[in-house]
Amino acid sequence: MDEKTAYVDKHGKRTDGRVLNEVRPIKIEVGVIPEADGSCYLEWGQNKVFAAVYGPNECIPKHMSDPTKAIIRYNYRMASFSVPDRKRPQPGRREVEISKVSGEAFEKVVFLERFPGTQIEVEVEILDSNAGTRVAALTAASVAMADAGIPMKDIIVGCGVGKAGGHVMVDLNKFEEDAPDAVDVPMAILPSTDEIVLLQLDGLATREEFQSMISEGIKACKMVYEKQKEALKQKYRIPAEESMNLPEQGEGFE
Amino acid sequence: MSKRIVIPGEQVSEERKRLGSHVYLREGKICSDCVGLYNEESNVASVVPLEGKYIPLVGDTIIGIVESENYSGYHVDVNAVYPSFISKKDIREILKPKSVISARVDDVQENMEIKVSGPRVFAGGELFTVSPVRIPRVIGRDGSMLNVLREGTGASILVGRNGRVWAKGGNLDLLRRSLEKIESEAHLDNLTDRMTAFLGLAKKNN
Repeated sequence: MDEKTAYVDKHGKRTDGRVLNEVRPIKIEVGVIPEADGSCYLEWGQNKVFAAVYGPNECIPKHMSDPTKAIIRYNYRMASFSVPDRKRPQPGRREVEISKVSGEAFEKVVFLERFPGTQIEVEVEILDSNAGTRVAALTAASVAMADAGIPMKDIIVGCGVGKAGGHVMVDLNKFEEDAPDAVDVPMAILPSTDEIVLLQLDGLATREEFQSMISEGIKACKMVYEKQKEALKQKYRIPAEESMNLPEQGEGFE
Repeated sequence: MSKRIVIPGEQVSEERKRLGSHVYLREGKICSDCVGLYNEESNVASVVPLEGKYIPLVGDTIIGIVESENYSGYHVDVNAVYPSFISKKDIREILKPKSVISARVDDVQENMEIKVSGPRVFAGGELFTVSPVRIPRVIGRDGSMLNVLREGTGASILVGRNGRVWAKGGNLDLLRRSLEKIESEAHLDNLTDRMTAFLGLAKKNN
């Protein structure tokens, strides 16, 4: 009973003041890296993520190319200063695994068969982390992918769900993830069809808990999707407003 | 014209329309597959992409840079995803690496290699790069924008579909600024009118 009160207070608020189905504040910027074909910077609570997409390009090494479709190279990396104790900079087991499952999520949405024999490189760098970085990375990478103009069925949107102190909640922070009974379910969906493209589970949950996690997770993902949509459209909206005033200004100067 | 910005996976139209480019069918609904502009009034459901690489089509005029020479021909960098090649059998002139040429896309082969023909070597001039998806705006309807640019800057201009613009003579600095303006405002209406005003104004200032 003591544990339950520690993670959710009597007003239904969590330790950082959020309610159970509330996502941390998200900020997305599109097109931040001029050298990349598409890029994105995302802040999700304390998480800070840079994503860059290069491609489609000629596949190197050649023997990895597939003559029927493009291949996706997804690289998830954490900066050595992104965690409280310094992380060794070489890719670890965890990073290799996340890169693999996230790359496979993209294979589900990109029209790969339009670019046979090529590679699409996705580089994601985590600068600061506080739980839920793999879904933040996936969310940022899919915005960068859209910014690169790569044809996709849909935009991937991810969100963490889980359980801490006996309560099902969305978007757990590091403190909640470290709870003794914590369950962590990172998931990513395609918002238009609710198809799940990434789902992992760490911890023990009953069938009912798991089902409520999935339905809460889908709702949370849709909230994140609105932010992605807004960011992508914003890129083209700002010059539109500026240039509306341009002809009048020009006349005034004459 | 009522155009709106769509993102991948967004449903573009409720009605049944003929499918154009950059759309796909999902459960009978027409959806976009890229970030682009959708024209509501058109009777073809088609999205004009705002980002992307050059996808070669037969008949395109492109501007390439000769990369290397081998026994049978030349490899040319045409700013596309796939490599391109000119066979020595098809041409008489001798090309040199790093020379800038204009050519026509003859064939896109099954392995996606691009065959180009009819190379013409440029002497002098300057090369500008524009995003390939915005080249249609640089040309304009029936070349209207190109005429405005030629008139405004006094340069002789050749536009390649692969996102390269070659120009010689005239005010090339003005042309560079004009191309930057077109590129940043490619998603807006009445661009030709605005460019006419921009070039007219700039001319007076000079």
